[in-house]
Amino acid sequence: MSDAPPPETRIVIGIDLGTTNSLAAVRAGKEPRVLRDQGADPLTPSIVTFHPDGRVLVGLAAKALRLEYPDRTVFSVKRLIGRSATETKNDVADLPYAVVAGERDLPRIKIGDRELSPEAISAMVLKEIKETAEQALGHPVREVVVTVPAWFDDAQRQATKDAAELAGLDCLRILNEPTAAALAYGLGGKNDGTVLVYDLGGGTFDVSILRIHEGVFRVLATAGDTHLGGDDFDQLLAQRILSLLPSKQGTEDAYVLQSVRSAAEGLKMRLSDQAQATLELDLGDRGQVELTVTRAEFEASIAPLVQRTLDCVKSAAKDAGLELKSIDDIVLVGGSTRIPLVRERLAAATGKPPHTDVDPDLAVALGAAIQADILAGNDRSLLLLDVIPLSLGIETLGGTVQKLIMRNSTIPTSVSEEFSTGVDDQTSVDLAIYQGERELAKDCRLLGEFKLRGIPPLPAGLPRILVTFLVDADGVLRVTAREQRTGVEASIQIVPSYGLTREEVRRMMLDSIENAQADYLAREAIEARAKAEAMVRGTKQALQISELPPDQTFAVHKAVKALQKLLDADAEAPALKSASDDLTKVTTTIADDVISAAVTKSLKADQQP
Amino acid sequence: MIHVPAPDAFAVFGVDRTLDLDAQQLELRYLKLSRECHPDHNRAQSTVDCVAVLQRSAEINDAWKVLSDPWQRARALLEAESQGVLERNKKLDPMFLMDALELAEEVAHADSDSDKQDVLTKKLNAAIDADYQAMRADVAKADFDTAAKRVHQSNYHLKALHDLEAKS
Repeated sequence: MSDAPPPETRIVIGIDLGTTNSLAAVRAGKEPRVLRDQGADPLTPSIVTFHPDGRVLVGLAAKALRLEYPDRTVFSVKRLIGRSATETKNDVADLPYAVVAGERDLPRIKIGDRELSPEAISAMVLKEIKETAEQALGHPVREVVVTVPAWFDDAQRQATKDAAELAGLDCLRILNEPTAAALAYGLGGKNDGTVLVYDLGGGTFDVSILRIHEGVFRVLATAGDTHLGGDDFDQLLAQRILSLLPSKQGTEDAYVLQSVRSAAEGLKMRLSDQAQATLELDLGDRGQVELTVTRAEFEASIAPLVQRTLDCVKSAAKDAGLELKSIDDIVLVGGSTRIPLVRERLAAATGKPPHTDVDPDLAVALGAAIQADILAGNDRSLLLLDVIPLSLGIETLGGTVQKLIMRNSTIPTSVSEEFSTGVDDQTSVDLAIYQGERELAKDCRLLGEFKLRGIPPLPAGLPRILVTFLVDADGVLRVTAREQRTGVEASIQIVPSYGLTREEVRRMMLDSIENAQADYLAREAIEARAKAEAMVRGTKQALQISELPPDQTFAVHKAVKALQKLLDADAEAPALKSASDDLTKVTTTIADDVISAAVTKSLKADQQP
Repeated sequence: MIHVPAPDAFAVFGVDRTLDLDAQQLELRYLKLSRECHPDHNRAQSTVDCVAVLQRSAEINDAWKVLSDPWQRARALLEAESQGVLERNKKLDPMFLMDALELAEEVAHADSDSDKQDVLTKKLNAAIDADYQAMRADVAKADFDTAAKRVHQSNYHLKALHDLEAKS
């Protein structure tokens, strides 16, 4: 192998797909760096606006339109992904956009008469991030590592992978956010020891405890809440603002909801720096609000939520077999860790001030870039050993769940069980897989049903079906089965209880390719028409002010008429283009440049926003 | 559903089959094996069978979990020395069960009084230590049946301690 040429350096990027903001980073060399538009804010809002004119805007452009089109601007979709409509009922109640229950009780985002899955929205955000990254790098990007909250279950991880696939990305790894942050923090080996990562983002909370030793980052335990974050703090303030509005209409009116939400977010941010903040909100005929909130009042209202995060911190320490005070360092991740109360409470619980060298907004993406570099095969000195956050089990008689894989087991991990049949000649066995810590199936989350098919017909109890449950490095379950006596591989049909089926992902990908083509054609048609209209307008004006020889005037008139006719007939882009070209030819061959100057001017004026 | 035993953890790690493994050496061994076998480091080579790498990596992680916990290590050792020994020795001495029942009662009634809880915690930890030392002596004598009984006994003490911790 020594004469083989050195493999080309593979570039895999890391993407932090956040509830509120997303961003990408790459590691080419020693230190990872954020990929951004030149001079721009590295954070792209995870927001998508479906403009009534058909355009789909993502990021800052979408955020700018959230007040103008509150019911067509989709955000915080990470709270919906991989969950059921019933589960997300409380989450969607306060959203200015509509979420309805679709097939198999999956949440669907309703924009006009269009319904979209949370995966499709996330895919649009990922695509935007991908394009930004490509511009910054100067070459196409295909392979990525995408981060998720450590507390995401199997279904939420799978749904995130599906979103990446829909965005045309090859997701090499689903990486836990706190683990990613720990990588960014521990790179370089100066921070070997135990570290607690406290990650309070826009919508989710995670805590992970890791041991870092000579480049190996080993997660000892993780705990969290997929339902707790900065959004909830905003919501507490928003409710207070809404209660001051004159009528009850607020909760029905998308504009009011969105305005109040934005105002609440701003108020919260100011309260991190100021002892009190005043809000003046003028909603026109919908009412006015003036409200002063002191930091003490705000802290009192969020204290129960902060306490919930500390309970998770304690539980993670217990699972890791460590005393909180014995942990060497505390790393803060997520914008909500800027709240002074969060820092104070955490410092009191752990007995040490948090480490502040890592930018809480960038740490996750930077860490994802490091893991991406490892997976690309560029750095063998680092290794990440992560855990599964929730136990996996199988439903047994009486509706109880027998645990197969315990939470906080290092992944990959596997367990094998042998099953048999209950009746003669039975050729299939159904297994229901649950995730969660509770004893009863009804209190856990059904991940899916695995149907073992192709069992050779034998008397009851005789088949010995060896089923292996393997959780891969993404934290996603894979099941394989084999009949021991015959060696027949049983086929497994997976029916996920949340998220998309394989077939749906395939169909959506085909649709998006077709749509991309349709979008392109539509844009081409609009542009060709706009150009033709401007040319007709400009030429007519020029003809009025210039004195051309009759033969030339006639030629120009003819060309303008031909183009106007096509415009009136709603002709397609190619015809418009060719007629426009003809007109250009006529006008440019005319000695007098008056016409072309006027046409150019008209075109320019048309392009001004 | 019948649980299929995991491969012998001692063999997976390639270490001596003994209860007295050096904790630090064991951890270093785990990290070394992980570096060699983890799918993250083996995915760049397209020839490697992906599932086999995953399976091997899972075996190492699972063996680490067993070997790094004294009681799980003991169970693995007994099973490796004498297959089915734990299953064969489930029946415990009635006198022991009486004592265990009494302890469970004590735990159940140890409400809120933290002094009493401390005393009970110490008592349970001492019992677990005693179980372990006795089991270790049995293993040294190659008396795996008695050692298996001790393992089962320790479960009662560990469970009581767990219940007590859950209360505070």
